[in-house]
Amino acid sequence: MKPHRIAAVVVRHGYEARRNLDRITDAIYWPIMDIVVWGFLAIYLARGGQMKPGLVSLLLGAAILWGMFRAFQRDMAVGFLAELWTRNLVNLFSTPLTVAEYITGLIIVNLLKALIGMTAAALIAWFCYSYNIFPALLGLAPFIFNLMAFAIAVGAIITGLIFRYSTRIQGLTWSLTGLLMPLSCVFYPVKALPRFLRPPAQLLPTTQSFEGMRQALSGGGFSHQDFAWGLALNAIYLIGAILFFRTMFESARARGLLVKIE
Amino acid sequence: MVVEVENLTKRFNEFVAVRDVSFAIARGEMVGLLGPNGAGKTTTIHMLLGLIKPSSGAVRIFGLPFAAHREEILVRANFSAPYVAFPNRLTVFENLAVFARLYNIRQRKQKIDELLDLLGIMELKHRPISRLSSGENTRVGLCKALMNDPELLLLDEPTAYLDPQAAFKVKEVLLELRRSRDITILYTSHNMAEVEELCDRIIFLRRGGIIASGTPIEVTQAILQEQREQPALAEAFMHAARDPSDEAA
Repeated sequence: MKPHRIAAVVVRHGYEARRNLDRITDAIYWPIMDIVVWGFLAIYLARGGQMKPGLVSLLLGAAILWGMFRAFQRDMAVGFLAELWTRNLVNLFSTPLTVAEYITGLIIVNLLKALIGMTAAALIAWFCYSYNIFPALLGLAPFIFNLMAFAIAVGAIITGLIFRYSTRIQGLTWSLTGLLMPLSCVFYPVKALPRFLRPPAQLLPTTQSFEGMRQALSGGGFSHQDFAWGLALNAIYLIGAILFFRTMFESARARGLLVKIE
Repeated sequence: MVVEVENLTKRFNEFVAVRDVSFAIARGEMVGLLGPNGAGKTTTIHMLLGLIKPSSGAVRIFGLPFAAHREEILVRANFSAPYVAFPNRLTVFENLAVFARLYNIRQRKQKIDELLDLLGIMELKHRPISRLSSGENTRVGLCKALMNDPELLLLDEPTAYLDPQAAFKVKEVLLELRRSRDITILYTSHNMAEVEELCDRIIFLRRGGIIASGTPIEVTQAILQEQREQPALAEAFMHAARDPSDEAA
């Protein structure tokens, strides 16, 4: 992998973020809106005395981390879709750029965007709702890492599917996280799920991350089990996603779709 | 040889887009790849770039097998076609700056200015791609194609959408590059006069296979099956395109 080619991908998407209002909206607007809505709900419940102490931090913390996961996963696929929408894919892959370099560049850009979005949401939570997530971030970092790793796996699978089925399935980019959300136990513990949904929920690294986050934010310390289980699941999903993506990319080359996909 | 293609075939299910094509291009040659729509010209170029995986056959560029040396080869080659585009919100400069980084160009701004000046589009430097005409886009594509001072240039209809003045400029640039740098060019076009003027040799494809190759006069004679004093590629093209074997097939 050549750093200058990875830097080219970062710069390309950096220019796009600067010139395209949609990218700015995606990165900042939605995370802030999430926090505003969840913040109002938390205030309403707290005033009515209907909420356990500490639940505000769990709600807002979960909203911040889920926003980060959703943005990262979406932007992995949108970054690639942007090349299809602008018919730039042939230009890029007729240079020495490799798929691994392209994906690495995209991960760096999206990590920066997700961090900007998370910081904006965290600042709103702090200034508007007196909830400061920053001191807890170090303890949450391993769970954030697991969320990001799973977002990469999901993004790679969606991108692979777009190679196979073209942009007619691009809606998955925005909708798949909606499907994952109820099972990921973002705002409630796993035990709140119906019994039959608990096993599939336990197979999601997002579930492990939010369980771990709740334990950390409620003062229960770092959950090695949640982190290790999430990490192991991510290793499996990432390997599977990379193999799936490579297979779909090679299949697209063999079928001539790389130059025709729209 | 800069390009060596042996028995290259591409099948898409039952359809054979390129059939058992073999040719070689020497350093400094400008070769025209001609044929009617659907003849397999673009598919051949895409296989030379690794964008489409051949069903069978071998591609060697700069003496290296493409599949095993993709990166080394593409550092020294480049490509332009009017059917590919650039991110349209980015300016011309921003787009070219991305490709300058991809090719690890040291003096990026200087190089981009040189290329914009060469293609006569310096005034477009800070204009978003979305505000360019098709012809201007084609010239930006050519700037991109010359970014890494390629030894091999694959040009798929490089003068499409260009007005006569811009097309003349592009032809001048290509001839100068060839003269000064001994660059090797594989060139497709539907403008037969242009091909006659520019190319040393022609490979004529029809239905995925080579039906004639050689100098313009040799290809004219082979397709028309008669002696001619001057090349007449347009006539040969029309003859090949309406060959009775097509109807029989």
